[in-house]
Amino acid sequence: MGFGCAVLGLLAIVGVDDFGRDVRPILAENCFHCHGPDATKRQAGLRLDVRESATRVLESGKIALVPGKPAASELVRRIEAHGDEAMPPKESLKRLTADQKQTLIRWIAAGAEYRPHWAFVAPTRPVAPTVSDPARARSPLDRFVLTKLEESRLRPSPEADRVTLLRRVTLDLTGLPPTPEEVDAFVGDSAPDAFERAVDRLLASPRYGEHMARDWLDLARYSDTHGYFTDHERFMWRWRDWVIDACNRNLPFDQFTIEQLAGDLLPDATLDQRIATGFNRNHMITEETGVIPEEYRTEYVADRVRTTASVWMGLTAGCAQCHDHKYDPLTQREFFQLFAYFNNLPEAGIAGGKQKNAAPELRLPSREQSAAQDELTRRLGEVERELAGYSLPSEPSDLAASAQRTVLESRRTKLREDEKQLLATFATTMVMQELPQPRDTFILMRGQYDQPGDKVGPGVPSFLSPLPTGTEPNRLALARWLVDPRHPLTARVAANRIWRQLFGHGIVATVEDFGLQGEFPSHPELLDWLAVEFAEQSREESRETRARAESASPTASSGSRLSSLNSRLAWDTKRLQRLIVTSATYRHASGITPESLRVDPRNRLLGRAPRYRLDAEAIRDAALFSSGLLAERIGGPSVKPYQPADLWKAVVYDTKNTQSYEPSRGEGLYRRSMYTYWKRQVPPPSMSQLDAPTREVCVLRRQRTNTPLQALVLMNDPQFVEAARALAERMATSSRDDQSRLTNGFRWATSRTPSDSERDTLMRLFAAERSRFRERTRSVDSLLAVGESSVATGLDRAELAAWTVVANVLLNLDEAISRE
Amino acid sequence: MRPTCTISTERTRRHFLQQSGIGLGAAALATMTANRGEADDAASPLALRHHFAPRAKSIIYLFMHGGPSQIDLFDHKPKLAEWHGQELPASVRGTQRLTGMTSGQSTLPVTASKFRFARHGASGARISELLPQLSTVADDLCIVNSVTTEAINHDPAVTYLQTGHQLPGRPSFGAWLSYGLGRENEDLPAFIVLLSRGSAARPADPLYARLWGTEFLPSQHQGVQFRSDGEPVLFLRNPPGLETDSRRRMLDALGTLNRERQLLTGDPEIAARIEQYETAFRMQSAVPELTDLSSEPEHIFDLYGADARRPGSFAANCLLARRLVERGTRFVQLYHRGWDQHYDLPSDLKLQCGDVDRACAALVQDLKRRGLLDETLIVWGGEFGRTVYCQGKLTAETYGRDHHGRCFSMWLAGGGIRPGQTFGETDDHSFNVARDPVHVHDLNATLLHCLGLVHTRLTFRFQGRDYRLTDVHGEVVTGLLA
Repeated sequence: MGFGCAVLGLLAIVGVDDFGRDVRPILAENCFHCHGPDATKRQAGLRLDVRESATRVLESGKIALVPGKPAASELVRRIEAHGDEAMPPKESLKRLTADQKQTLIRWIAAGAEYRPHWAFVAPTRPVAPTVSDPARARSPLDRFVLTKLEESRLRPSPEADRVTLLRRVTLDLTGLPPTPEEVDAFVGDSAPDAFERAVDRLLASPRYGEHMARDWLDLARYSDTHGYFTDHERFMWRWRDWVIDACNRNLPFDQFTIEQLAGDLLPDATLDQRIATGFNRNHMITEETGVIPEEYRTEYVADRVRTTASVWMGLTAGCAQCHDHKYDPLTQREFFQLFAYFNNLPEAGIAGGKQKNAAPELRLPSREQSAAQDELTRRLGEVERELAGYSLPSEPSDLAASAQRTVLESRRTKLREDEKQLLATFATTMVMQELPQPRDTFILMRGQYDQPGDKVGPGVPSFLSPLPTGTEPNRLALARWLVDPRHPLTARVAANRIWRQLFGHGIVATVEDFGLQGEFPSHPELLDWLAVEFAEQSREESRETRARAESASPTASSGSRLSSLNSRLAWDTKRLQRLIVTSATYRHASGITPESLRVDPRNRLLGRAPRYRLDAEAIRDAALFSSGLLAERIGGPSVKPYQPADLWKAVVYDTKNTQSYEPSRGEGLYRRSMYTYWKRQVPPPSMSQLDAPTREVCVLRRQRTNTPLQALVLMNDPQFVEAARALAERMATSSRDDQSRLTNGFRWATSRTPSDSERDTLMRLFAAERSRFRERTRSVDSLLAVGESSVATGLDRAELAAWTVVANVLLNLDEAISRE
Repeated sequence: MRPTCTISTERTRRHFLQQSGIGLGAAALATMTANRGEADDAASPLALRHHFAPRAKSIIYLFMHGGPSQIDLFDHKPKLAEWHGQELPASVRGTQRLTGMTSGQSTLPVTASKFRFARHGASGARISELLPQLSTVADDLCIVNSVTTEAINHDPAVTYLQTGHQLPGRPSFGAWLSYGLGRENEDLPAFIVLLSRGSAARPADPLYARLWGTEFLPSQHQGVQFRSDGEPVLFLRNPPGLETDSRRRMLDALGTLNRERQLLTGDPEIAARIEQYETAFRMQSAVPELTDLSSEPEHIFDLYGADARRPGSFAANCLLARRLVERGTRFVQLYHRGWDQHYDLPSDLKLQCGDVDRACAALVQDLKRRGLLDETLIVWGGEFGRTVYCQGKLTAETYGRDHHGRCFSMWLAGGGIRPGQTFGETDDHSFNVARDPVHVHDLNATLLHCLGLVHTRLTFRFQGRDYRLTDVHGEVVTGLLA
């Protein structure tokens, strides 16, 4: 049992019971459902999540927990009992193991001390531990990791080779592989800070913002369609572009938060700050004719609460929509207090009609459209002024004047009509906006829209930090509360999410759940250290610096902020990422030894660097990039790469505008995958096969599966076949020598040079395919015709077809689709 | 997963894997166990296996999308003729909420069915004249007239029936089954979706990929949509010009290189990937063999009807469904669209029934002859029923009916189900369930039961909670069971 040994190994490090890590999870899993925070379902008046209640005399006269006296504790008697008295009861399907029982008994014997849940207490900066081999640590971060490794007698891996290292960090920070030239430059750079400079280059690349934004789209449930029923088109790409820009200019995470949750409520909110609030309009919206709008409007508001709580606090707030949370101390009343913040939009529950976006929305004219509008306004003004001249009583017999008046009036009518038409062509984006008079919010019984209970006002959960005093009770206050340094969750959750982007899994593996049912952190002190490091605002930082960072242009600010990395601005995302990727832990080699697989199969101790398959988008982007097909341009409306037309037709409502899929022509086929048109009803199939979520609800953690259908996508999807052909062309034109051609292709796909045996295998394949294609010119023509891009002339077409097969292998290599 | 000392039980091992989610891939586990016999465990690493001896191995779910009218098909209400044209009594309507399409209607006139009903088979099942072929197998069916749902509109109602929740975000029925029971045939997916379009004149309501999605379950359990034109599975075919021998050589080279990389990195996930590529290669021949109906003898086409020769028809999909369960597919989900008869019900319903009647009967008979009906559970029905009152203007020629969730009809047949009975009753208006209600969750609990699964134990930990298909509800309806 490899797993058992592994976890026992971890436990051996630990030694003594820790309430939060060892005891409470047993109680939460097995007892809280009936003896926890939810008062309505509580049995026997017993509450085990609060010590005061658990040690009190119950109605039955018994005491569940008698500190120091397991034998006198009813809890112990019941967990040891059989039959009807047994706890947890048989029908709960829960069962305590002998070890779990012993843990509880030990804990009671030791005094049954409770400690608050670690994640609900604000982090303080822990002192980085001393390690036996300080040379191994590049940053305090490493000392936390090394300490755990030492405790489990695991030796950390050596540093990865330079090619792997550059490929890893380039993929992690930009979502694309490095070019062979970049690899050569880095390998040849013997300066001690070569890696740090490579990191700075990557952080300053505009590709960085695209890659970071892509991750944010999953949790923001971003899509190009409304999602329910008819799944009509919507336009939110201006919000998506705002995210890219915010990442690229390194908008501090507190501002990033405030602008997305409440940018509209900032004093003198800019257009961009209002566009940012689209975050909470990305939820699905129905257009089904028969619905009761209030039922859906309620759902939209609840979605905002769930998503906001999940993204910023790692709380599963949705569990408290119908009743008090079963595990966390979040009451149903508190859920609806949060609901009250998001309940005041001038929104209908149902969208539809000609309008593509649902109100409230912003109109976003292009520069030309603005100019046209100004011109129309000017001309309308003229006509109005002239008309005013005729408003004085004039002689009815003044025919000329009357005729002139009619002319002007019809001109005015025409201009107004033109203006209306022009306005209809403006791009729009959905935003948050407050009603002048907030809606009343009620606790909805069982979460049902038509069963209002007590009226509640906005407020935050009492188990978290208090709201800053003297603020308006609105979304802006909520957003500021989230990024208040006293908040126990926000910085930890954000740091953990960033860690996951760079290591494949979080220090808290359940990135979406920091509550009592969430997984205990693998490195609690490290997480707190990172959280404090991230959120701490140095005293020197003035409001002025902050303001400058907010308003600065993308290029200028990313540079200026990078250059001042050491001056420690609070919530500096790029700085935190730089800190992590320059650590020794990040630079470990990813090779797995039988020893490390046995002791730590999940690599929770980070003795080695994780090795895992890239996300769907990164796989496609890398193929386009290696083959030279990638069309790099930031932002704009979504595009439609290859996809059979009938995929949409088979399921859509006949009369809607998203009926059949018409692929883009030219550039649109080769943009980065984050710009692929996202129809929720039928998400792009090659993305879905590679574990992209549907974007119907907020997702913080993608799965990573390994299936035959993925193999079919990578071998046969026209996008990948065309990329193989383009890569083949690139190889064929790169040299006159077949060996060099192969080496070049190998490097474009994997960043490294092939070994002799790898080269032999592929050259044999090339030779076999070449002789085969020489016999069948029709096959050559068919294969080379895949995709819209043109085929270079003047090449031996049979050879090109053979190289295409070789390139198909290269793009399918496990290494080519993995981050090592 | 927390580092407690309790790692020995199967349940905990499962949780361990669930919680890990990443890092140690499911397939890696299979590699580590290094036992070919456990390969299925790789496809469904969290396979619970049966909780008890199953009655059925597979489900063929014939989903009539749009909401077929129970009043015109199975739930015979002779008294409606008397009340035809009269206002629906408030006492019958009670507090039922109506959809936005008829809530503003000034009158809700009771509308009797235009179609005749007769008793069929030894069981005397009442079936409408619109389903003459199905009537011939009445004794194999269990007609349920008391299915009930709270949803009143398509999107929430379909999502409810197929995922146990009215809002998106939960895994689909087939995904749960694939997760729970794994694959029987390594070269075919466990969960396959077949779509067809009805003949009704009205536009057909949309479907959504979420209905065969996995949400938080591992995505290898998602339903694979078979397509009726082009390649049956997307990206199944080699690109034009690349033939099987080239693909084989390509895979051999790929395998060689991947194995070298595995030796170097020690990553067991690579071995799993090599295996997935080989499975994909086998699928490339297994799937076309499966979807090629030309090997079926003439009498089979006589049975299913000429329509079965038209790819993408409901009849062809039924025949395909039989071929799939023969090959061990767990869950075949058919959707036949077009059952949303708000207007022109008499003409459109007739067309829809014409699409499915013969093929449904044929499927039952065909499976029975092959001895497969005992181990295959067939489910027929839509997301809700239709109102007894007319939507729009009631005329001598035509009428329409709005959505109705309070009661509707489905039929079940095969593995684990008691045949030859009509279960549950509604009131004289077919508006409320009068006896033996079968709620959506009860239905799903019962279907899982037939597959040997206890619905309360088929769970997956997500966001700190053990989710299941039946949410926190559902009772197995023993009256439906053989």
